[in-house]
Amino acid sequence: MSAKHREFESEALVHMDVLYGLALRFTGGDDAAAQDLVQDTLLKAYRAWDNFESGTNCRAWLTTILRNTFINDLRRRQSRPAPVGYDEVAERSVYPQLHEEDGEGGFFDRIVDDEVIRAIEELPEDFRVPLVLADLEGIGYKEISELLEIPVGTVKSRLFRARRRLQQRLYRYAVEMGYIR
Amino acid sequence: MTHDEQPPGHAVSPEGGGTADELSCEEAARNVFEYLDGELPPGYSERVHRHVEMCQRCYPYFNFERAFLDYVHDRGMRPARSAKLEERLKRLLDDLEGREP
Repeated sequence: MSAKHREFESEALVHMDVLYGLALRFTGGDDAAAQDLVQDTLLKAYRAWDNFESGTNCRAWLTTILRNTFINDLRRRQSRPAPVGYDEVAERSVYPQLHEEDGEGGFFDRIVDDEVIRAIEELPEDFRVPLVLADLEGIGYKEISELLEIPVGTVKSRLFRARRRLQQRLYRYAVEMGYIR
Repeated sequence: MTHDEQPPGHAVSPEGGGTADELSCEEAARNVFEYLDGELPPGYSERVHRHVEMCQRCYPYFNFERAFLDYVHDRGMRPARSAKLEERLKRLLDDLEGREP
């Protein structure tokens, strides 16, 4: 095994689970697409490995490659974007239903991880991608707007709707499971 | 976009009896995500902050939405494991190494 191979394994491959998790969120839980995305990411990273400065944040570098790879592909696929469905009812905060028994949002912690992962992955792509960028990766509105080539107002609007849909779904789940009345 | 957010039980009173600088609950609530995301212009963000700090209804509402965003961030970034992917990547690396001079 070459020194480059060994180094790549110890510095880059150790982040595979993080990259795969993020890839699943981006692709809406599509396992084959997520695996392809991680492979493309690591392949690009391997080819550029000589330029990577050891000791700098490898995970951040890899997630940037993964994000850009996904978004480039998304742009190609979305040359004719499908219209996004609007559902006003699903876009209200669940706070009014909860504020008397759980005004501080503690109920979210009672919802198991799998359900929020499923809920994120099942959002329509137009809503899911801005949410993953903003809420999982912590990227600002302006940068998301540049990445997705949409106006900042559209980023805000999609993010707003994505969060509301997510909240409504988690609320319904919590009621169904008896976590809240 | 319909941002008809408003903490429950709030009367919308832009005049509200306060100073011209004060925001109504409706306006503060309409900007809840931009405020929590740190995306409001500094002066305006400060006005929202002052309102929320002093408002019995907006304060828990903003905390609720903040808890939601924290929850999505913390749980949403969960890594995932795939033995199949691991195997696939190891094969790819071996293959790449074999091709290098």
